[in-house]
Amino acid sequence: MNVSSNTSEAAGDKQEQTLKHYCEHHAECMKMIQAILDGEANEAEKEHFRQNMDKCMPCIQTYHLEKCIKETLHSKVERRPCPEKLVAAIKAQLSN
Amino acid sequence: MSVTMSEAPMKEGYTDEQKYQVFNREFMPHIDSMYNFAFRLTTDEDDANDLVQDTYLKAFRFISSFEQGTNAKAWLFRILKNSFINDYRKKSKEPSKVDYQEVETTYNSEDAADTTHTVDLRADAVQDMIGDEVANALNALPVDFRTVIILCDIEGFTYEEMAKILDIPIGTVRSRLHRARNLLKEKLKNYASSMGYDA
Repeated sequence: MNVSSNTSEAAGDKQEQTLKHYCEHHAECMKMIQAILDGEANEAEKEHFRQNMDKCMPCIQTYHLEKCIKETLHSKVERRPCPEKLVAAIKAQLSN
Repeated sequence: MSVTMSEAPMKEGYTDEQKYQVFNREFMPHIDSMYNFAFRLTTDEDDANDLVQDTYLKAFRFISSFEQGTNAKAWLFRILKNSFINDYRKKSKEPSKVDYQEVETTYNSEDAADTTHTVDLRADAVQDMIGDEVANALNALPVDFRTVIILCDIEGFTYEEMAKILDIPIGTVRSRLHRARNLLKEKLKNYASSMGYDA
């Protein structure tokens, strides 16, 4: 996901030519991808993401991997509800 | 031990009845999230019980420094996190201090944190994992890194809320999350490899 001009609003066949397989600023890109997925990206970051997201293979893969891990953490890691006994114990302590 | 919270001036405001009202209306609805956070931090049900109970009793004792209409969940999480650090972390089996130092040193170096972590884990390997496997990978992280992932990805706090809960600047939230996620990916990758996934 590098900074490239947005003049090439090209047809689909241009995609293949411009797809990069090595990202020279992957660390920076990862931080941006993280902000996007966390809903914390600013306008400039969102715009950069929109313009460049589909141009760099390592970044596309990172985006999907990070998104998948985030969703997995949210949906699959079991949430332990608070035991009823504990709620009762807290209330009992307070009414003393 | 002192609870460090925003030192709002002691309000004469709350009558006893109001205290119970605020407690029941603003604090109790978060008890499941609080318990879950406590369990993820301590990884032990009894410790989680004690931690949540202590936190709620402290919250009641310091209720006059809670301003109604502000973010009760973040306020409670902050007390719980501080109690955990002060009372539980030292007695837990986890040698977190040593590990944390070591990890911080390694990962503070930009090179170590960034360039070695290209994509080497496939999303479908993660998709195939069950919750317990992901939870184990999460539990294997040093507690400070585990905490930011729990707050962000499991509890859905914003960076700003996390900064307040953890008493660190937002920039540190960002970089700690970044490192935590790289570490988590490493744990997931090791797991995936051990299970024979083509990670």
